[in-house]
Amino acid sequence: MTHPIVAKALSEGRNKLREDEALELLRHYGIPTPDFALAHSEEEAVAAAEKIGYPVALKVVSPQIVHKTDVGGVVLNVTTPDGVREACRKIKAITKTVPYAEIEGVLVQKMVPKGVELIVGALYDEIFGHVILFGLGGIYTELYKDVSMRLAPLDEQDAWDMVKEVKAYKLLTGFRGTPPRDIPAVVDIIVKFSRLLEENPEITEADLNPVIALEEGKGAYVVDARIYARQI
Amino acid sequence: MYLNLCFLYSVISKLLDPQSAAIVGASPKPGTVGYVLLENLATRFTGRAYPVNPKYDVVELWGRKIKFYKSLLEIEDDIDVAVIATPAPTVPKILEEAGQKGIKAAVVISSGFAEAGNVELENWVKAVAKQYGIRLLGPNCIGVYNAYTNFDTQFLPVERAGRPPPGPIALISQSGAVATAIMDWAARRRLGMGFVVNYGNKADVTEVELLEAFAEDERVKVITMYMEGLKYPGEAKRLLDTVRRIAPKKPIVVYKAGRGSTAAQRAVRSHTAAMAGTYEMYHGLFKQAGAIEASSVREMFDMAKALATQPTPRGPRVLVVTDSGGMGVQAVDALEALGLEVPEVPESIAKELKRELLPFAAVSNPIDVTGSATDEHYKIVLDMLLPTAFFDMALVVTLMQVPGLTKNLAEYIIGAKKYGKPIVAVNFGGSELVQKFEEALEDSGVPTYPTPERAAKALWALYRYSQVRRRL
Repeated sequence: MTHPIVAKALSEGRNKLREDEALELLRHYGIPTPDFALAHSEEEAVAAAEKIGYPVALKVVSPQIVHKTDVGGVVLNVTTPDGVREACRKIKAITKTVPYAEIEGVLVQKMVPKGVELIVGALYDEIFGHVILFGLGGIYTELYKDVSMRLAPLDEQDAWDMVKEVKAYKLLTGFRGTPPRDIPAVVDIIVKFSRLLEENPEITEADLNPVIALEEGKGAYVVDARIYARQI
Repeated sequence: MYLNLCFLYSVISKLLDPQSAAIVGASPKPGTVGYVLLENLATRFTGRAYPVNPKYDVVELWGRKIKFYKSLLEIEDDIDVAVIATPAPTVPKILEEAGQKGIKAAVVISSGFAEAGNVELENWVKAVAKQYGIRLLGPNCIGVYNAYTNFDTQFLPVERAGRPPPGPIALISQSGAVATAIMDWAARRRLGMGFVVNYGNKADVTEVELLEAFAEDERVKVITMYMEGLKYPGEAKRLLDTVRRIAPKKPIVVYKAGRGSTAAQRAVRSHTAAMAGTYEMYHGLFKQAGAIEASSVREMFDMAKALATQPTPRGPRVLVVTDSGGMGVQAVDALEALGLEVPEVPESIAKELKRELLPFAAVSNPIDVTGSATDEHYKIVLDMLLPTAFFDMALVVTLMQVPGLTKNLAEYIIGAKKYGKPIVAVNFGGSELVQKFEEALEDSGVPTYPTPERAAKALWALYRYSQVRRRL
């Protein structure tokens, strides 16, 4: 039942999926991610951006870099081919400040409009098995621990319950003039993510962060995913 | 599969509700564990008790001759359960004899196993039990208290540690000392607890099987659980599945002690792991399973008492009746903080109420019948409002210190149960009238609390349970 993407990474001795692999894995389970492509050169990046359509974001893909933004490995809102080239050069220059980083490529990703940023995560615990976490994205989640958790596998009702349980739920229903968000799309991501975990028991930790919830009827997208696994 | 389950239940029920018990390590010397066990089972247990101790033959105790057996194998009658309270190293051999005798259930009181670092000895005990098909509770536990038959393996004497009367609440406790303290407390308050079980090291029988047994027992209306933590891989899922199956039919209230986060001890690579403390996982599990979580032992029994006696409410709307404006305000604060509603009384009924109550009574909600109220005023309010579609349950504050109220008020409140909606009372004070009044209410199934907060939490538990049932 283990997905070939996970199996391949493990067979190559990698415990962390590459960004493009993680996003691809989510897609296979029907979890929406903005269109993306992995590029290995400036020209590949431009071609990808043209195909995906502007604006795009470019992100460094390197097994040694965990916090991409911290090292300047993310360039957002690129709108032209020249912009793509420039972003690629900027990303390549990372190796000057982080000499140990091997750059495997650049992820070109369609920009998602602004929305409410959420986190959906998972963790494997020996006693609990896979536990799924939901919360508001960003630093406040960690500060206030405004999260809900459920054991996997969960059903649709569980997913609704965990979304409604957090205090930040009000941000999704519309708060002080902000529009209501596509809550069913968020619930759908949680349910599909649970199925992904069930079929891939090798996964030890995962962050889908941020998950961006757009306005009602416009969906929700996983913009970044970090997935760790181990051989069992 | 079905037959297998029946068999399982019947063995666990032998453990909880045996007709005959052998006490290995029984002693005629007062002040010993073996003496208390013998006294419990020889003088109060309604079943047959068989003391086992090779050091004694026939001893006169409690005005009669008591025969001690040399070993389990010497007993001729069938034995449902062996209660073992001998030094830890002797336990495997005794279990083996129990197995040879065909005994299918054992309570091992003895300590000195895994909890003291003797994991191998515990594994040996486990292996022997498995070999003979014995279901084993413990080791290192106080075992079982069955209020119906006084099958009681609690080894603290009755003078020191009270035993509660029979009743609708069952307790499954990970801690023996906590179970003892709860029993003593419940005994003093005459809170009915039919069964108390402490599973100690959980070498064999787990909380999951105890839950299943209590789910099947008609005498148990509410299951309470005191937990510190699970210990075996994959156990959380079994607990989730079991609670989820039982909860819609029988309420389960759980208090998890030890809420400190252990997230910091994990090797944290993700945000998720940084935020996922162990307690948060339990919290998620209870929610998902439909268990009602309490934040203290006291709260657990506040809730259990209401769940054992009240119907489930249709919705979250609470009618508050009070003779003290201050208590009314506190009740509203507490109810609303818990997400319950205190809607206004519809104008048409308010007008009518105004005619019936004292001129300065408040007729919105909370309804303040005032300190000059009589018993009748409460009756008018309850009869006029509780049977309407505007309210799902009632919180009745009765400060009995005011001159117009008498013990008869209890009859009116109890009478309002006929409307089939939950009613809880708040009654505070120390006079004899207050105590008598409270007893009258509690004895007739109206749970009574000293503060509005505690009463509100009890109503919340009822409402929460109505949601759990709806998921069935």
